[in-house]
Amino acid sequence: MQGMIFVIQRASLHDGPGIRTTVFLKGCPLRCQWCHNPESWSFEPEVFYNHDGTTKLVGKLVSVEEVMAEVLADRAYYASSGGGATLSGGEPLAQSAFTLALLKECKAQGLHTCVETCGHAAPERFQAVLPYVDLFLYDYKATGPDHRRYTGVSQELILANLDALYKAGAKIILRCPLVPGINDSSEHLRAIARLEREYPELLAIEIMAYHNLGNDKAKRLRRKPALPGIANPPQSTVQAWLDVLAELGCRKVRIG
Amino acid sequence: MAERVFHREREFTKAYKQHMHDHIAIREAACLRAQYPGALGPIEPGDLFAGRVRPAAVGFSPDEWGQTAFGYYHLPDRFREVLQRPDLSPEDRAEIEEMLEFWSRENTSSKVRARYSPEMAKVMPSDNWMNEPGMVFPLYRLCGAYPNYGKLVTLGLPGLRREVEQARDRARQTGGDAELFTGMLIALDVLADACQHYADQALELANSADPERRRELGAMADILLKLKTEAPGTFREAIQLMWIYSIVADVRNYGRMDVYLGDFLAADLDSGRLTEAEALRLLQSLWQLMADRNTRVHGRVIIGGKGRPNEANADRFAILAMEASRTVLEIEPQLSLRFYRGMNPALMEKALDVIGEGRTYPILYNDDVNIPAVEHAFELSQEEAEQYVPFGCGEYIINHRSFGTPSGVINLLKALEVTLHNGIDPTTGKLVGLQLGGLESFATFDELFAAYKQQVEYLVDFMAQQEEIEYQVAGETMANLYLSMLYDDCMERGKGMFAGGVRYLGGTLETYGNTNTADSLTAIKQLVYEEGRISPKELLAALDSDFEGYEHIRELLLAAPKYGNDDPAADGMAVKVHEHICHTVRDQRKKTNLHSYLVVIINNSANTLMGRWTAASADGRKARVSMANGNNPTGGMDKKGVTAMLNSLVKLDPSIHAGAVQNMKFSPAMFSTHRDKLKALLQAYFDNGGAQAMITVVSRGDLEAAMQEPEKYQHIFVRVGGFSARFVELDRDVQLEILSRTLY
Repeated sequence: MQGMIFVIQRASLHDGPGIRTTVFLKGCPLRCQWCHNPESWSFEPEVFYNHDGTTKLVGKLVSVEEVMAEVLADRAYYASSGGGATLSGGEPLAQSAFTLALLKECKAQGLHTCVETCGHAAPERFQAVLPYVDLFLYDYKATGPDHRRYTGVSQELILANLDALYKAGAKIILRCPLVPGINDSSEHLRAIARLEREYPELLAIEIMAYHNLGNDKAKRLRRKPALPGIANPPQSTVQAWLDVLAELGCRKVRIG
Repeated sequence: MAERVFHREREFTKAYKQHMHDHIAIREAACLRAQYPGALGPIEPGDLFAGRVRPAAVGFSPDEWGQTAFGYYHLPDRFREVLQRPDLSPEDRAEIEEMLEFWSRENTSSKVRARYSPEMAKVMPSDNWMNEPGMVFPLYRLCGAYPNYGKLVTLGLPGLRREVEQARDRARQTGGDAELFTGMLIALDVLADACQHYADQALELANSADPERRRELGAMADILLKLKTEAPGTFREAIQLMWIYSIVADVRNYGRMDVYLGDFLAADLDSGRLTEAEALRLLQSLWQLMADRNTRVHGRVIIGGKGRPNEANADRFAILAMEASRTVLEIEPQLSLRFYRGMNPALMEKALDVIGEGRTYPILYNDDVNIPAVEHAFELSQEEAEQYVPFGCGEYIINHRSFGTPSGVINLLKALEVTLHNGIDPTTGKLVGLQLGGLESFATFDELFAAYKQQVEYLVDFMAQQEEIEYQVAGETMANLYLSMLYDDCMERGKGMFAGGVRYLGGTLETYGNTNTADSLTAIKQLVYEEGRISPKELLAALDSDFEGYEHIRELLLAAPKYGNDDPAADGMAVKVHEHICHTVRDQRKKTNLHSYLVVIINNSANTLMGRWTAASADGRKARVSMANGNNPTGGMDKKGVTAMLNSLVKLDPSIHAGAVQNMKFSPAMFSTHRDKLKALLQAYFDNGGAQAMITVVSRGDLEAAMQEPEKYQHIFVRVGGFSARFVELDRDVQLEILSRTLY
């Protein structure tokens, strides 16, 4: 069993509890305009142009054993910190057989597992991995027609999968990328607050403030950045989002 | 009346000449008499303890003065300076020139070199390791003594005097070396006189001081006078005694301070004689005195760890010491925390608080790894190993029981370079090493590696001999009166430190370029021998031209696996290089009379200074660039994250050397936002076998800004291998090397 990944990031501090190893799978059904990992879109290896004119290939096929060897090298750090392995992407469920195999192996080794997902995958795929996932980092990116506009897909399937996972008892942290002037509309913030009310067992809602590092990567893939002119939001903007959400009754919002 | 020019040097020289052929203990005592109190610096405003140094251009030191000078030392630069003075009278000039000529012959370091065999002299043609290329250099010094401060503060001067008198009487009765003890008694007089000198000075200063300062100086004088005739009874008295001893004896590491001061502190606090705030103020003053002494690479204060009989009291001192290091923003003391599983967790919490503020202290030492490692490396019992103490840049010895000065440096990368070039140093074109064929003659990687090993082994033999010769000269030249009275088992054996007195006389060899050597070998193995992508000829041409016109070769070399990424091939080579040099050095104990001879992978700024004289290397490093620091990966080459880097570090066996530094650079956020994860990270590293950690907390932006506007960034402290430094005071290439280290 092989899968296409673009990087394995060890000592990851932002993808779930503790110190983790995050496996980034390559290939995604969404095309979020703010994506900071544009090299994760295609399911094929791609040429990355370095600034000094040289190139490198991003993406390689790896076996479950190869990934596990690297993941298990940091066991001691997971144990001391309450960490584990996180599958991210791209969209892990887009390579669901490989993802399932990895998750099974992680659980067999007694590791804590996280899956970071955009939610856009066939419901049966979520059903299949559910028993092997300790925590979902589940994206909520935009509300209503905006969703298709900014990510390329509508949000019905995503909301249905969230609902099904929640009702099946999955542990979920909602992750909300916020891009100033793009998806930080009051309607979207209200929708986030509504989800917190509707799903009281959500562990947390994490605000992921936009950063524009993805633009450079897009250029190096010889693509045009979709949101070229947007500055990283200052602390005051982030605080304003938090204030609005608090006013809307959110109690679980934090900065991710 | 103005002091006659070079007055102190003349007095010292006179005393030396007068006693030149006397017993070395008597000569040394007479020289100490001449040296003090002239070499004592004045009490400065704010000092709560007396004791500052004002070294003369000639003197006696058991440690080192100037560049690689020890014992009876002279500082040629100071002579030259004074000889250039236009107002110097012809008589003075003649006398000073005669003195310079005398000391050029008679200084202890010269006696070491004079004893080299012709072959040794050929292998070590220079001792100017900072400014000349070379594979090995001697260092003339006797660094890193840890006398028994506990015995000192328990017995006090009168108690010590009684013990020495008894030993002298015994020696007289049994035909032993009574003069050694006579010398010690004079040395104790000199120490008592230093107390008197400072007491007088304190009282004189008090006359013109404001009321508060007058009280402080009065208390200082009272204590100094009391110490002449009584053992210390309070925390403050005990500190004053250890401090004035360390100044007069010129001992630069301060021992397991929590053990020998913990009970004094606890008794004073519990009885209400002293408040916490007052105790802290005393330590802050002591810390400032240590900082102003500026030993550069010493000034160790050890706290924590196993083998402390008074653990609870010692812990109280340890926490206070860390608070002193948090509040006194200086480079010394090098506060070092030993810790073990089960130790009071408040100590580690406090340590992380202080480190998190960007202090670089305390340096962390993991007893659970180090004690078994010391047991094995030094072949000692667990009980003795529990008394290990790191000195200077991080070399371990056993507290007041063993000695192991680093008296040589080896640049492994230079040894590889010379091996690749068939014995020639490509930076000079001179034949300096064994001619074993050169890269083009080795049919397999194993042949190359064997040649490299042979080259290194040839050098190490001489380095061990150099260490032995140094001790021989020391034993014949100096009694080391102050150290011998507080070092096991000099008193019992009736012998000076280096004349058979110290229980375990060992040595250490500083190794540099370890990581670059391993990464170079990894790249050569893969690209030249396994994949054939670079021919030997091409590689040599690329290295010799510093990759000019060979950028594609450099890219291939840089892309080869590198140590620090938990990569089996690269780390496996690092382990091979490590084990080879460590065992080669350690095996010297069988060829010499040294109890141990061990590698230390400490690094000060030598990785940068020696890098300047090292050509381009097969790991892709350009010529003259810094070599990697200590056991650490080459800066920027550890790309797999901090856990992978730490996993690589722990693959290098700590039980076959006498200390290695592990520098780690973390961002401030790691200590604030991710404090729990940081703690978990360090815990796992230590559980995995991590022996040591020197942590710098700094942001990259601050370092870059500090290079632009140094005046605004005096507060930034960084680790340079074995010692801490103000970033803005470092040379530019050292700054760049630090900047290049990966920030986690």
